[in-house]
Amino acid sequence: MNPIYNWMYYIASGGLILIGLYIVLVKTNLIKIVIGLHFVNTGVNILLICIGYIRGRTAPIFSKPGINPTNVVDPVPQALVLTAIVIGVAVLALALSIVIKVYEHNKTLNVSRIKGLKW
Amino acid sequence: MVNPSLLIGVPLALAFSIPLFGLISKKIEKYIPVAALLINVVISLTLIPQVLKKPVVVFIGGWNPPFCINLVVGPLGIFLAILISGIGLLVSIYAVSYIKEEPTEKYHILFLLLMVGAIGIVLTGDIFNLFVFFEILCISSYALVAYNKDKEGTEAAMKYLIQGSIGSSFILIGIALLYGGFGTLNMAHIASKITSADPTFLFITLAFFITGFGIEAAIFPLNAWLPDAHSSAPSSISAILSCIAIKTGVYGVARMIFTIFNAGSILTFIAFLGLLTLLIGEMSAFRQDDIKRLLAYSSIGQIGLIVFALGIATSLGVFGALFQIVSHALAKALLFLAAGYMIYRVGSKSITSLNGIGKKMPLTSFAFAIGSFSLIGLPPFAGFISKFSIIYAAIQVKKPIFLAFIAVVLIATIVEAGYFFRIVQNLYFKEGKKLEKVTETSGFILIPLIILTISIIAIGIHPQFITGLLKEAANELLERAGYIGWVLGGT
Repeated sequence: MNPIYNWMYYIASGGLILIGLYIVLVKTNLIKIVIGLHFVNTGVNILLICIGYIRGRTAPIFSKPGINPTNVVDPVPQALVLTAIVIGVAVLALALSIVIKVYEHNKTLNVSRIKGLKW
Repeated sequence: MVNPSLLIGVPLALAFSIPLFGLISKKIEKYIPVAALLINVVISLTLIPQVLKKPVVVFIGGWNPPFCINLVVGPLGIFLAILISGIGLLVSIYAVSYIKEEPTEKYHILFLLLMVGAIGIVLTGDIFNLFVFFEILCISSYALVAYNKDKEGTEAAMKYLIQGSIGSSFILIGIALLYGGFGTLNMAHIASKITSADPTFLFITLAFFITGFGIEAAIFPLNAWLPDAHSSAPSSISAILSCIAIKTGVYGVARMIFTIFNAGSILTFIAFLGLLTLLIGEMSAFRQDDIKRLLAYSSIGQIGLIVFALGIATSLGVFGALFQIVSHALAKALLFLAAGYMIYRVGSKSITSLNGIGKKMPLTSFAFAIGSFSLIGLPPFAGFISKFSIIYAAIQVKKPIFLAFIAVVLIATIVEAGYFFRIVQNLYFKEGKKLEKVTETSGFILIPLIILTISIIAIGIHPQFITGLLKEAANELLERAGYIGWVLGGT
């Protein structure tokens, strides 16, 4: 098998994390920065999932016929990702509500023009 | 035996019952955090003798380790839990009459959740739970920084949120890598398997963890959020962030380096980072005019000193770091609370506007002076013993580079003394304007100020109150085989 096929989920997650970091570092619009943060979050979630994933196996629901420990994936990362998704949504909601307040005070979302606080 | 999970359960349950108490009477809700944290202090004090005899490990769900979620209440955990609940209790007493802006019940809920997160971080033995509690702490502190909904507060909260959530994502990447490498989430189990892994893999994972926790701990160059967040938050929240939230970041770094990764080779680098943080923090504090910003930069400096002491990594060095955590928490809580009420009375954050306030608010100014003397490290106060043990430990290492480090620490102390003496001089010896209406603080505000002042002096005169527990806690960090043994049962 070629390496891209074997590693494609890792490449995708790493790519999403890097795209997210790039958006956070380069973009000046607060909404875009928040989107970038969520990109990073999604990338990390995919990284967690693909660590537990084994190609060709299925979900570990043992009440179904024909499912035994040799043909299932690791369920722990999926449980972790559920928690991480919930946390990510909480952060996203809080971030957007703070963005609204920042906009009310400054009448702009451009971070290079919001500089009430400095070193 | 009291179950240590109550330390997390009681504040969590009471946090979400605050709106229900609010339905009965609006006056009850602000006393709920006081009650919850008082219960926590009592529970953790009763646990001390037992923990010193044999650490308590709680398994949740009836599974045996390493497959269950567990709490590890060792000397370090119980010491930090007492510190967090104690400071939290005092700050919640202060907040009873300090927080007036509506909706107050949301303030109290978020405050208790912050406490839950901090106590959970120091007690948990499971690395993913560490992340979850860390996120509880972070999300509630983002919201609390923006609590006043003013221009500075929202801007500071936005900065804190962007940097903090990048940090949390880095911690989660680290957890994912560790789980991929070892197939377990139990910290003791990972620690017992760590020698079998590839050094490059471990280095990358550790770098993710140090960056993630370093953002919360405000280690240079990750400290950009701290001055804004601490100076724009309500003063009670500044005190909590400065005394507790950044300490949990330091705890995370220490736990990763000492217990899980056993990374002896990067300790000199960590000491160097601590030193840089110390120098940058103190130098920036020196030129501030805003008193809360000054205290925030001084917090960065003190965190640098703690990280430097952890980097020494002898038992005296780690003991000094833990003692510095106590003395900084007491002194900085006192300074933020006293300054918060002075700002409230005067109506301005500028240092010059506090000129001559010593005659109008003698008790508060006296408390402020005691706090700043303790932070500088003058002898009869708690700060002296912590700084002395850190410097003594650094001398005992007997490496030439550490002698240079000591020189920098002492220079930074002089800078620190420079700006704190300037403020104390302004408080007492300068003539002020427009101070006719300023009156002494009263009621609930004075209780935490008096308790903190007395405990700073008491610990300074008689450090044996806490040295026994601190020595055990330092041993817990340095002897990782013992920690693995408590959880997994025999090594």
